[in-house]
Formats: sequence, structure tokens, C-alpha cells
Amino acid sequence: MIMKNTVFRSLILSLAGLVVTAAVTLAQEASGVPQANRLAEQNLRPYWHVFAAYSLVIIMIGGWAISIARRLRAIEDRWVD
Amino acid sequence: MTTAGMRRGGTVLTVLGLAGLIVLYWMCFFWVSTEVNQGVVQRIFYVHVPAAWTSFLAIGFAAVASAMYLWLRDDRLDRAALCAIEGGLVFATLVLTTGPLWGKIAWGTYWTWEPRLTLTLLLWFIFFGYIMVRNSTEDPEKGKRFAAVVAIIGAMDIPFIHLSVVWFRSLHPEPVVAKPDGPTLPGDMLATLLFGVLVFSLLFFGFFLFRYAVEALRAEADLRARSAT
Repeated sequence: MIMKNTVFRSLILSLAGLVVTAAVTLAQEASGVPQANRLAEQNLRPYWHVFAAYSLVIIMIGGWAISIARRLRAIEDRWVD
Repeated sequence: MTTAGMRRGGTVLTVLGLAGLIVLYWMCFFWVSTEVNQGVVQRIFYVHVPAAWTSFLAIGFAAVASAMYLWLRDDRLDRAALCAIEGGLVFATLVLTTGPLWGKIAWGTYWTWEPRLTLTLLLWFIFFGYIMVRNSTEDPEKGKRFAAVVAIIGAMDIPFIHLSVVWFRSLHPEPVVAKPDGPTLPGDMLATLLFGVLVFSLLFFGFFLFRYAVEALRAEADLRARSAT
């Protein structure tokens, strides 16, 4: 009997916790208070842009280097032929 | 200079440029101080401005080579202009891709039709147009002449790009280095920027020499093929 009560109480407490969490989340959504994940997204966005810009430099310069190397190899093959 | 000499020179400049690029990235991420108002996104400045400078260098170089080609009709000058234009297209593309990434955070939009951005886009189309004009004529000699004119007219865009932020009310910031009363950047930011300009210029000239070697070899191969037939 005691065991059954403990399980029942735990279940009720968990459900209450879920209801409170859901209520707080909905209230935050309604009031426009920024959530932690949204704040993190806003704070990290400039870092992603910097990362993308510096990656683009490597991609463009690397791409140009590969393009020149391929053309150089093609023309050298033509010389051999 | 022989093609072997160009390839050696290209290798030296490219290796120096790539080593410099590693140092530049280290300076940008670990050494230079963060700008107070814009925060970390301002670090795009150290690749955006050197890319812009290198694209200006490329069109200037191509315009001088093209003008001399129209005067002397020496194919080496036409080849030099073509190679510079190709490099200019690469660096102008970098300007037009890194700039919006910065603009989205700083201005809240990737693109706006303000004078400097529009004139830079025009410069990109001039680079692209040079290659299209050169390859779209049946007579290659005519294509070279038309393309040379495009390069000369394209170089006239540079002063307008530089002065557009002074002449017009614009979102784009005014020059902070090339101005009459000297640079207004803090020392570490100026050093990083100037080092970036040096690195991008080394890479441009290194790849330019390789690209020129390709064109010289191609011209020689074409000549041999023609004389064999």
C-alpha cells in the first residue's frame, strides 16, 4: 500500500512538473521573452558568418589553384602527345 | 621570363602567400582586438578589404596591359590581361560573398542597392564580361581587341567605387585607411589589414604567374600544331 502511494505521488509530481514547465514555456512564448536556445542562436550567428567568410576565402583560392593545376596538366599532356 | 621561370616564381610567391594566409588567420582569430561596436563579425573586414584591394589591383593591371596591347599588339600583353582578369574575378567574387555575410549582421540585410555595392557588382560583371567578350567572337584577334577595351573601361569603375561612399549617403562605411588625413584604425587592426593586403597580393601574383605559364604553353602548343599541319 505504501509502495503504491509513493509511485502515485511521484507520478502526480512529475505530471505537475510537466504542466508547470509547459505553462512557463507557453507564457514565455506569449510574452516574447527570449528563450535560451534562441539567445544562443542570436549570439552564435556572427561567429557562423565569420566562419563562412573565412571558409569561402579558402574554397575560392583552393578552387582557383585546382583549376590552374588541371589546365597546366592538360597542356603538359598535350605537349607530351 | 621562360615558362619554367614563371612556374618557379609562381611557386615561391604562392608558398609565401599560403604561409602568410595561415599567419593572417592566426592574427584574425587570436591576435587582433575585437571591435567594440560590431563585435566579432567585424573580423570579416580582414579578408573582405584585402580581396577588394586585390580585385582593384587586378583590373588596374589588366587595363594597363590591355592599353599596351592595343598600342603594341603584343600577344604577351593580352595574355597578361586575361590572367589578371581571371584573378580579379576570383577576388571580386570573394568581395561580393564576404560583404553580405558581414552586412547581414551589421546592417540586418545581405544586400542593398546602395552605390558602393552596386558599383562593385558592376565590376564583377566587367570581369565576367571581359571573358565572355573575348570568347564570343569568331575572329580571336577581334575578341582580344574588344576585351582590351572592356578592361580599360572597367578600370574607370575603381575611382567611383572608392569615392561613392564619400559622394553619396550610404550604408557602407567610409574609407578608414586610404583617406587624406591618414588611417583612423587602431594599430593592431591596421597591421592585420595591411598584412592581409600583402598576403592576398602575393597569392594573386603567384597564381597569376602560374596562369600566365599555362597561357604561354597553350600559345606555343597551338603554334606548333599549326606549323605541323
